[in-house]
Formats: sequence, C-alpha cells, structure tokens
Amino acid sequence: MRFEFSEDQQELRQTVRGFLERHATPDVVRAAAEQGSGFAGSLWKRLVTEMELTSLAIDPALGGAGASFVEVGIALEELGRTLLPVPFLPTVVAAAALSEAADHHGAVPLLERIVAGAAATIALDAAHASATSRGGAITVSGTVPFVADGAHAEFALLATTLDNQPALLAVELAGPGAQLDAQPTLDQTRSLATLTLSSAPAACLTAPAAGAQAIARARDVLAVASAMESIGAAARCLELTLAYLHDRHQFGRPIGSFQALKHRCADLHVALEPARSTAYYATWTVTGAPDELAVVGPLAQLVAGDALLAISRESIQLHGGIGFTWEHDAHLFFKRAKSSELLCGGRRALRTLIGQRAGIV
Amino acid sequence: MDLRYGVEDDDFRAEVREWLEQNLRGEFARLRGTGGSGREHEEIELRMAWERALGAAGWIGLGLPREWGGRSATLLQQVIFAEEYAKADAPGRVNHMGEHLLAPTLVTFGAITLQRRFLPGILRGEELWCQGYSEPGAGSDLAAVRTRALLEDGSWRIDGQKVWTSNAAFADWCFVLVRTEPGSERHRGLSYLLVPMRQPGIEVRPIVQITGTSEFSEVFFDGARTDASCIVGEAGDGWRVAMGTLGFERGVATLAQQIGFERELAHVLELARANGTIADPDISARIIDAWIELRVMRYHALRTLGSIEPGAASVSKLLWANWHRRLGELAIDVRGPGATTLTGTPYELDREQALFLFSRADTIYAGSNEIQRNIIADRVLGLPRR
Ligand SMILES: Cc1cc2nc3c(=O)[nH]c(=O)nc-3n(C[C@H](O)[C@H](O)[C@H](O)COP(=O)(O)OP(=O)(O)OC[C@H]3O[C@@H](n4cnc5c(N)ncnc54)[C@H](O)[C@@H]3O)c2cc1C
Repeated sequence: MRFEFSEDQQELRQTVRGFLERHATPDVVRAAAEQGSGFAGSLWKRLVTEMELTSLAIDPALGGAGASFVEVGIALEELGRTLLPVPFLPTVVAAAALSEAADHHGAVPLLERIVAGAAATIALDAAHASATSRGGAITVSGTVPFVADGAHAEFALLATTLDNQPALLAVELAGPGAQLDAQPTLDQTRSLATLTLSSAPAACLTAPAAGAQAIARARDVLAVASAMESIGAAARCLELTLAYLHDRHQFGRPIGSFQALKHRCADLHVALEPARSTAYYATWTVTGAPDELAVVGPLAQLVAGDALLAISRESIQLHGGIGFTWEHDAHLFFKRAKSSELLCGGRRALRTLIGQRAGIV
Repeated sequence: MDLRYGVEDDDFRAEVREWLEQNLRGEFARLRGTGGSGREHEEIELRMAWERALGAAGWIGLGLPREWGGRSATLLQQVIFAEEYAKADAPGRVNHMGEHLLAPTLVTFGAITLQRRFLPGILRGEELWCQGYSEPGAGSDLAAVRTRALLEDGSWRIDGQKVWTSNAAFADWCFVLVRTEPGSERHRGLSYLLVPMRQPGIEVRPIVQITGTSEFSEVFFDGARTDASCIVGEAGDGWRVAMGTLGFERGVATLAQQIGFERELAHVLELARANGTIADPDISARIIDAWIELRVMRYHALRTLGSIEPGAASVSKLLWANWHRRLGELAIDVRGPGATTLTGTPYELDREQALFLFSRADTIYAGSNEIQRNIIADRVLGLPRR
C-alpha cells in the first residue's frame, strides 16, 4: 500500500506545471476563451507534439508512453488549474476507451492518430443518435448536443445503439453526413458544439454484447477525468483567493485576518483535500482496481465538483466587487464549476447513481 | 501509487482475525458492541479484564519498539489490527488515553526510568489512564491552566481543579498539565505530571452528560501528591510535551473508527428499509451522502496516513466529527416519532437516541470545530494573524 505519487509522476507534474506557467498565462487563456472560440490552438499543438500529453497512457507499440491513468490524471489536474481551453479531457477519455477496444476493429488507427496529434471527442449519452448496419456498412443519424470541443476534434466516439444494441462508434467529424455547429458557451473556457448526423458512416468499436459495459466504463473514466480537472481548478481558485485575503486591507488590516473569513477558507480546504484524495484514488482504480471504478468514478466527480463549486462561489464573495467583474478571473472558475456540474447531469442524478451502485437505493 | 494490501499485510490480518475469533468467546462474548463513546459505563469490569487479555497477547502498543514490549508494527499493521478489532465488534477500549496518548508521549519525552515504570502497565492493560488538561477556566485556551504544583519534601504537591476528565472515575493514573512556576503565564512555567488517582488529595465528582450517563468528571486536587520523578520532560517544559501528546494522531485511529461508522450507517440504512423511510427522498439522499462522505474519509485517511503535516489531523477531525454528528441527526430522523419516547427509566436510550445525543460532543472535545478551523487557517493556509 503506497498512496503517493512516484518520483516520475512528481516529475511529470513539475514539467507540465512549469510549461503551463510559462505559456498558459491568464492572458492566453482569456484570449482563447473570448476570441479564439474556446480553443488555444497553437498551445494545444505544443501540448500534444512537444509534451506528448495525449499519448501518455497509449500503448508504446502504438507510439504512446504506456503510462497509467494516474499520469493522465496529473496532466488533467495541471490543465484544470489553468482553465486553458484545449480538447485535452475528451481526447484522453477517448484514448482510454479506444485502448480498451484496441483488440477490436478500428481502434488502433484512431489511437495512432491521437499519438500523431489529433484531438478527439466523446459523447456518451446514447439517447441522441442511433445507428444501423447494412451489408457491413454502419451509418449513424441523430442530433447530439453539448459535444465537448467538437469543433476542434477530428473524430468522435459516440455512445449509441447499433441495430438496437448499445455500441460505441467512431465517427469522422469532417466526413460526410456530419455537421458541427459550435455553440456560444456560458463557460467560455469550454467549447461545446451540436453534432448533427445524417447517415454518417461510422465504425463500431465494441463487440455486440460488450457495448453497454464499454459505454458505462467510458462514462466512469470520464467522471474521473472531470474530477481531476475540477481538483486542479479548485486548488488554483483557492490559492488566488487566499492571496487576495493577504493583500487586501480593510479596517487597517488584511481581510484574511478576520476569523469569519478564516473559518470559511478552512472549510474550503476541508472540502478540497478529501476530494483530492478521492480523485487521486479514482485515477488509480482506472487500471489498479477496475471493479471499484463504477462507484469511485462518479463519487470522485461528485465531491470534486462540489469542492470546485464551493470554492469558486466563495472566491467571488471574498473578492468583493472586483470578484464580480468580467476582468477578474473569479467568474471563469465559477462558470467552469457550474457547467461541469450541469454537463454531468446534475449532482442529484450523480448521487442517485452512486446510491444505486452502492446498493443503497 | 499502489493501493492494495501486500501479502504480508494479509497474513497479519489473518492472525489478528484468528486471535479475536478465538478470544471473544465465553465470558467475553457478551462484550461485543459494548463501550465506546457515550457508552463508557457499559460492562466496565469485564472490559478491564478484556484489556488485560489483549495486553497479555501483545496487542496493546503495537507500534511501540520491541524493547518496550511493543511489536514495532508498521502504521499499516496498526491500521489492520484496529480495523479487524472494529470488524469483530470488539468492545470499546478502556485505556485509549494510556495507549494512544501517554505511551507515545513517554517514548518521545519521558526519562528512561519513567518509561520502565509506566509502559509495562499500559501494555499489559493493567494501569488505566485519564487526561487532565481542561479546567473550568482553560478549555480551548489550554495555556490558561491554573492548577498548580510545587515540589515539597521530594514530591509534587498539587492543588487546583480539572474538569471534563473522561474515565476519571475508574482510571488509576492521570497525566496532568499543571503550573509549576508560580506567577508564570500562558505557555511558560507549565509541567506535565503523572499523578495516581486513588489518594486522599483527589476527589472525583462524576458529571452527568446530556445522555444521562456519565463518563467525564470534575477532578479536585487538594494537596494531592506524586513522586518528584513523575514528570515528563523538564519542569517548565509541559506545554511542549502536552502539544506532543495531542500531535500523535497519525490517522490509525481514524481509519479504524470508520469501520465502526460503517456499522452505524448500515444500521441506520437497515432501519430506514424496515420502517419505510428510505422511500422519503430526503432520507435516502442523506443516507447516500453519508455513505459517500464515509468513502471520501477513507480515501483521505489512506492518503494522509502517517502525515505529520500541520493541519492534517485537523482536517480529519473536522471531517469525522461533522459526519458523525450529522449521522446522529439522520438516525433519529429515520426513527421518527418513535424516538421521542424512551425504552426505560431513568433515562434509557436506544442506539439512535444515544448516537443523536452523544455525537454532539464530537465537535467539542479533542479540539472543537472552531479551534480546528483556526489551526487550518493559521498553519496550513497561512492566513495573517492580524
Ligand atoms: C465528551 C467530552 C470528553 C472530554 N474529555 C476530556 C478529557 O478526558 N480530558 C480533558 O482534559 N478534557 C476533556 N474534554 C474537554 C474538552 O477538551 C473541552 O471541552 C474543549 O477543549 C472545549 O473547551 P471548553 O469546554 O472550555 O469550551 P470553550 O473553550 O469555552 O469554548 C466554547 C465555544 O467557543 C468556541 N471558541 C473558543 N475559543 C475560540 C476561538 N479562539 N475562536 C473561535 N471559537 C472559539 C469553542 O469552539 C466553543 O464553541 C472533554 C469534553 C467532552 C465534551
């Protein structure tokens, strides 16, 4: 039993953090969010080609680094700190799903494209599209809302039904029958698109009986990824808030010396650190204890999301008027928090899911 | 990162389990589920005998070095023992104060003669201890201690009063924080004395708690005596020693405690199913939340096991105390109106009633919620003091 990051993992964190501190500065994040339609394109290119972050957990035989999801989690957390708008999260979750399907069908070439720098997205609500196969050729139709970073991805993994059986499909986003409409977003650091599919050609990545399980597992991995991203954002937001409590003086003293505010910050710390432990634990279960993932994944997403929401809310309040301005970054964290929660179906649904999987209800 | 137990851990677990199974039998069988917070009065004589049985088998002070009669057990082994102990529903321990607070303090700060004199009694389960810190004027503000002691004819003479002293009614000894430099203030001039409880200069008056039971007492010192050698650390160094005592929690107790919490929550769930309240969306949401938070506490305890970072113990204390207090409220809400009447006189509480009432203490003792938040704000977050 060793619940700590290895030296290599700590080094990875330092490298990623150092790179992001130099390049993913608040100005860069702002510019990408406000003018770049939620895509820091040139920085993304460096993250995937120079830093090779999206291929961390891909099989070395396919050109990846062969690391575990713990390493991917570290990168997610570090990127979460910056709120940098890049399609990292959907790409690595897609890579994880593809890696598990790697002995099937068309997964390998898609993984190789990710290694070569392609972004991918993943849409796991099977209710929006359905597919049919005819003479070995699969086509898919439907309208899929809220596709994360769809506008910047080359292909999408799609949960749907194939001839009425749950299946995970791959669809080329620049291909025939696929149309993406980028949507203006409440959280501008996150790009969302509506994907309209009309008989778009698709490849099936799952065996007929294994589709439902592969989709469920991809969802749980997505939950873990989202938890790690939230932990990073929450930690950064709390740091910025604490720094302000030191700097800002009222009544002749730093506002951080008022016990009312100290206690609220202490509570935020108590929300964050256990959520962090849970998220780290969850990243380990992805490969270390797959049986636990179905409970721990959503659980990590729930508590990490709660921590980010609590911290980002308080951050605005504790900054006073400046925290309510467009210019200050406090709202970026707040909007990220809420959009993460809403996009996962809301915390009530998540809680019920955990209750069901834990055998309580 | 590898969060599995190793083979040697599994072996150790099997050994502990086997021993408990073999020994929680006969007379001891009825001890299952007795004692613990709020129920310290239960089966006290038999639990003392059980403590001696544990000691004879070498299960007390596992983490202490072998030369002191411990097993030099790793933190993880200590966790495993405590987990198996809790899983077996073995009785609440009567000498927590001796084993977990005083013993490590003696090892760290005590003179060799003191270690030789007192560790064996703790490890054999023969001498029971209580903690004499709080006073009427010194609670959260422990440095306001006024009980005083002076060296007279080769022994300390102690005068003053302690309060809220858990287990004082049956303890053999008390570790006491006293002022040994007349006129000194705050953290200076304090000393850490070991005082025998059964003597004419000490009077123990039990205090009845909101549960109607009594596990803490007022302790009056009126010319009480202890040998001059019964001082841990130097005279005047008592604050440092006392803070050391408070700082030995490394998460072992936390992880073990969670097994008991799991059982309590399972019981609440069972009750909610039996009486149909599980169909109430508010109740089921609170049960799921409690379950989630308990998992979170476990992951956090695993990550911080052995941590000596300032504030780690405070985070864990806030987490479990608030969780347990909420569980108390959940339990009584699940009981519903039936919880408003008692099972017997004078004030006989059932499980949910006792949990509901006793858990109000969790956020007060061992550093109140507010004090833990102060510690986190000052020492972890580094917020300015003024
Ligand atoms: C069941 C139980 C068992 C106990 N067992 C023992 C024992 O064995 N040995 C022992 O020595 N003591 C024991 N205690 C005493 C316990 O340690 C004290 O009750 C605790 O330290 C609080 O002190 P107090 O009761 O004087 O409250 P006070 O310190 O007077 O606190 C009253 C309120 O004010 C708040 N407060 C105080 N200072 C501050 C501050 N600076 N900032 C913000 N809020 C503040 C507190 O949090 C609390 O809410 C026990 C208590 C209980 C309830």
